Amino acid sequence: MTHCRLTRNRREFLSDAFCGFGTLALTSMLFEEKLRAARNNPLAPKPPHFPAKAKSIIFLFMAGGPSHLETFDHKPLLNQLDGQKRPAEFGEVKYQFVTADAKILGTKRTFQRYGKSGIEVSDLLPHTAQIVDDIAVIRSCHGDMVVHSAAQYQLFSGRVIPGFPSMGSWMVYGLGAETDSLPSYVVMPDPDGALEAGQPMYMHGFLPAVYQPTMMRAGKKPMLNLDLPAGVKLEERRQTIDLIRELNQAAIAGSDPEFEARISAYDLAFKMQTEAPGVFDISTERAETLEMYGVGKEPTDDYARRCLLARRMVERGVRFVTVVSGGGPGNLQWDAHEDIEENHVRMAAQTDQPVAALIKDLKRRGMLDSTLVLWGGEFGRSPEAQGGKGRDHHNTGFTMWMAGGGIKGGQVVGATDGIGLRAVERPVHFRDIHTTMLHQMGLSQDALSYMHQGRKERLTEVHGEVIREIV
Amino acid sequence: MSGKRVCLLFAIAAGLLTQAASEEYTAAERRHWAFQPVVRPQAPAFTLAADKTWARNPVDAFVLARLQKEGLRPAPAATRATWLRRVYYDLIGLPPSPEQIKAFESDRSAGAFEKVVERLLESPRYGERWAQHWLDVVRFAETDGFEYDTHRPDAWRYRDYVIRSIQEDKPYNQFITEQLAGDEMDAADQTLRVASGFQRLGPLRKNAGNQEVASSRNEVLTEMTNAVGSALLGVTLGCARCHDHKFDPIRHTDYYRMQAYFAAVHDQDVTVATNEEKASWEAAKKAVEAEIEDLRKQMKTLKGEERGRMQQRIRNAQERMPGPLPALYSVHNDFEKASSIHVLARGEYQNKGQRMGMRPLGVLLPDGAAELEPGVKAPRTQLARWIASESNPLTARVMVNRIWQYHFGRGIVATPNDFGRMGGRPSHPQLLDWLASRFVEEGWRMKPLHRMIVLSNTYRQTSASPQEAVAMEKDAGNAWLWKFNRYRLDAEQLRDSMLAVSARIQLKMGGPSVIVPADEELVNLLYKPAQWAVTADGAEHDRRSVYLIHKRNLRLPMMEVFDAPDFQTSCARRESSTHAPQALELLNGAFASEMAKALAARLDREAATTAAQVDLAYRLAAGRAPSAKEKQLGVEFLRNQPLREFALAVLNLNAFLYVN
Repeated sequence: MTHCRLTRNRREFLSDAFCGFGTLALTSMLFEEKLRAARNNPLAPKPPHFPAKAKSIIFLFMAGGPSHLETFDHKPLLNQLDGQKRPAEFGEVKYQFVTADAKILGTKRTFQRYGKSGIEVSDLLPHTAQIVDDIAVIRSCHGDMVVHSAAQYQLFSGRVIPGFPSMGSWMVYGLGAETDSLPSYVVMPDPDGALEAGQPMYMHGFLPAVYQPTMMRAGKKPMLNLDLPAGVKLEERRQTIDLIRELNQAAIAGSDPEFEARISAYDLAFKMQTEAPGVFDISTERAETLEMYGVGKEPTDDYARRCLLARRMVERGVRFVTVVSGGGPGNLQWDAHEDIEENHVRMAAQTDQPVAALIKDLKRRGMLDSTLVLWGGEFGRSPEAQGGKGRDHHNTGFTMWMAGGGIKGGQVVGATDGIGLRAVERPVHFRDIHTTMLHQMGLSQDALSYMHQGRKERLTEVHGEVIREIV
Repeated sequence: MSGKRVCLLFAIAAGLLTQAASEEYTAAERRHWAFQPVVRPQAPAFTLAADKTWARNPVDAFVLARLQKEGLRPAPAATRATWLRRVYYDLIGLPPSPEQIKAFESDRSAGAFEKVVERLLESPRYGERWAQHWLDVVRFAETDGFEYDTHRPDAWRYRDYVIRSIQEDKPYNQFITEQLAGDEMDAADQTLRVASGFQRLGPLRKNAGNQEVASSRNEVLTEMTNAVGSALLGVTLGCARCHDHKFDPIRHTDYYRMQAYFAAVHDQDVTVATNEEKASWEAAKKAVEAEIEDLRKQMKTLKGEERGRMQQRIRNAQERMPGPLPALYSVHNDFEKASSIHVLARGEYQNKGQRMGMRPLGVLLPDGAAELEPGVKAPRTQLARWIASESNPLTARVMVNRIWQYHFGRGIVATPNDFGRMGGRPSHPQLLDWLASRFVEEGWRMKPLHRMIVLSNTYRQTSASPQEAVAMEKDAGNAWLWKFNRYRLDAEQLRDSMLAVSARIQLKMGGPSVIVPADEELVNLLYKPAQWAVTADGAEHDRRSVYLIHKRNLRLPMMEVFDAPDFQTSCARRESSTHAPQALELLNGAFASEMAKALAARLDREAATTAAQVDLAYRLAAGRAPSAKEKQLGVEFLRNQPLREFALAVLNLNAFLYVN
């Protein structure tokens, strides 16, 4: 089965519009419009199921599991119980490492109320504290798995096993692309290394490969195959692509939508190759902007650059961008098993300023209304100590936040119990987060489905609920 | 024989006792087409001479009758060259050489077509090609997936077992019995032990720290059970893991009764190392352990980021730990450690319901059929006997449908892993049954079926019909087969063909899988980049794709963009998408560049003039001579541009990527 059946009219338009790359590079409005009109192009923009608030999503993935207890969920009782066993009234949970005899660990962070909303934020995140009126803090998140890989799969795809499409792939499948010079779904991993769940976490699963993510990798070649091979000049390659088109057209008899789709894929590839690198060139940004993000100084430089790139991509119509903080071994992620203070002070210092700058920047450019930002990890961290100073994984109650894209900021949803062990008020599962994201993008969790192995699969598997308070 | 009687005999074959059970099935549930016994229909007969000629075998007769009923006509026969390229790709996954095309075009003897088919079916390339289809269905991979994505360095033995079995046309009932119950059949037989590794092909989650033994065991049993449903029976058994199947008469209890056959199954690695190998392995292991010990001591004084970096070094050292000794990945029954199988509410291991014993799917048994008595010595042999039985209405139908799909691009049932109510209805139900009964009659062998199909007139049609406009109105999906379905090469066919036309392909068979070079940026996306240890011998990199490592957490972009499956779940049918990253891969990818250079060198070696180079390039890549226009364009291009760029263009042509 092909996913590229185009209308018959398309052929006429193609023979008019594609007379050479010279014309193409001009990117006429006509080209764009006609491209969009191309029926059944898998990436053609599709109308949402109902009016959408958001067009794009940026997921600020704090990999490894940031502690809710050191960031957004102030628990004075925790410090009172420091060094004691968990009182029985809080019940039992299962951890990956700590066992039943573990002792409660108080936090060294101090909390203060910020903004008009007066939401409490810890001194670990002074910059985020400044934008607290724009964000909706969800203190009652929970997932089903307490180990990284499975929890990461659930966060991205709604399933605790690999092989299912990630949120980014679902969004592009549901809404198509708004850009033809950039990929629609981009992942920017942390240059320190990969995560436990590996690439399958970001992937398109059983959806056609056209919905795969583009990994924007650390190193000299951020996007795969965007650079010409060594020794090949652009002009030379342009002629090669012209030859491919001419030879392909010479072999088409009558109308042939599938072959025409292939011809246009080559034209788009060339367009990506010439235009996409522009997105990486941040020299055009004002000094004040660079400074706001923290570009050019440590420890923020790397995450600041990637947050800025995320904004530049969304500006150009990219649908979904994941910006990962943390990679490689646990202590280079938010995975603070050994020393919560040392780890979180370091990770927060790298990300807090860029994250806040991204929200401010989107807002002042008028982009925040149409860009949904999600912040969080695959779980939180245990109220109990691991090895004296660290905290273990913790999936039964933790914090994530959302901003923009129609989300009503300056409010708190849900609550954990007195020590942050369990979400007790208005629990929000990953599937509710997914449902809310789909909803803001104008997509219904039921209508967005794909037949696979005799089942209509969807992102939320079991029915999720929109977090009504914040939309 | 009445349906009821078949069911009864069937129950006896499965060794069942009679004892009342709660589930009963309505007549409507039992009436679903796929649950009916296979009955061999009569092939349609024709009166007109032209029809009689066209219907050269029963396949044609069924197809022609259906076309006539729909008011359609078959497309004319494709040219010999087109048919030859088609059948080469189909049976061996590689293009014919210009010499082979020439020889066939000039062979006007009566059995010219038959000779080609026999030669291809006997070629070792056939086993390699058709093994890939099976490997897709059983989600074959050579790593665990999940966090560690630990390599299974001996998993290639299963891949070789599949290639050999298909090559020698092992009866399908035997093939699946060996995989389900090889260890029970003969624990000392190495081939059978490898075959039963089928049950270990799924992803496997391991984690450090507290072990959730019960949930992990549940995951393993789930993988085993679901694979039997989708790969062997073509029913979405997995849907009944959490509740009664919503659409098909598969009860929640059915799922766990099927799972009960696997209750005692546990992994068993049968070491095949010599004493010397064992000794040198121990020595290598000790050296790395000492190194790690030393690094751990150093780490004690480090803090924060430095500590993180040291963790990284320790991890890198761990990667140098010698891999496990050669072993056969097998299973065995450990009845002492057998899991107690219960109905699990929502599939959750904590929510144990009623205890379940072994029994096949209830809808295929008389109402009230009992479970097997506990204490069965060889449970999976029992299961295999039921699945691979002639009277099982699903097994043969599912397999012949798969075979049909790989030949025509679309199954008689368009959903090969789902013969249930939500799956497709057969486009040619009688043909499906005719093929299924013939398949069984011929000893469950695939090759007779291939012969009949590829030598049919149905298969010989062109892919562009003169009645296209009319036919598209009636049947846009070409379900009635009024023409041959043109298709894009799949990822393996494409990579193998690039190696073949550039004369680089290494046709070595079998053995450990190959890790080819990949961009550093890509490898660094692995949690443990050191796992991507590129095979030292460069010649190995040019082997067929079936021999490349199937790593769950890193797929080669070349394979991925062309819709190769992700090895996580059973893939019954490849997607075929068209998008810009494919173009970027074939234009700028390192492999494409290398192949273009190699093809250019070949054209330079074997053809003297630019006109001859264009001609040869088309004969190699497209299986035909270039048209006058194509030749002119090529020659003009070569006046100013390098041969390497022309070669690259050829590897990007539709004429190369598509099979007509």
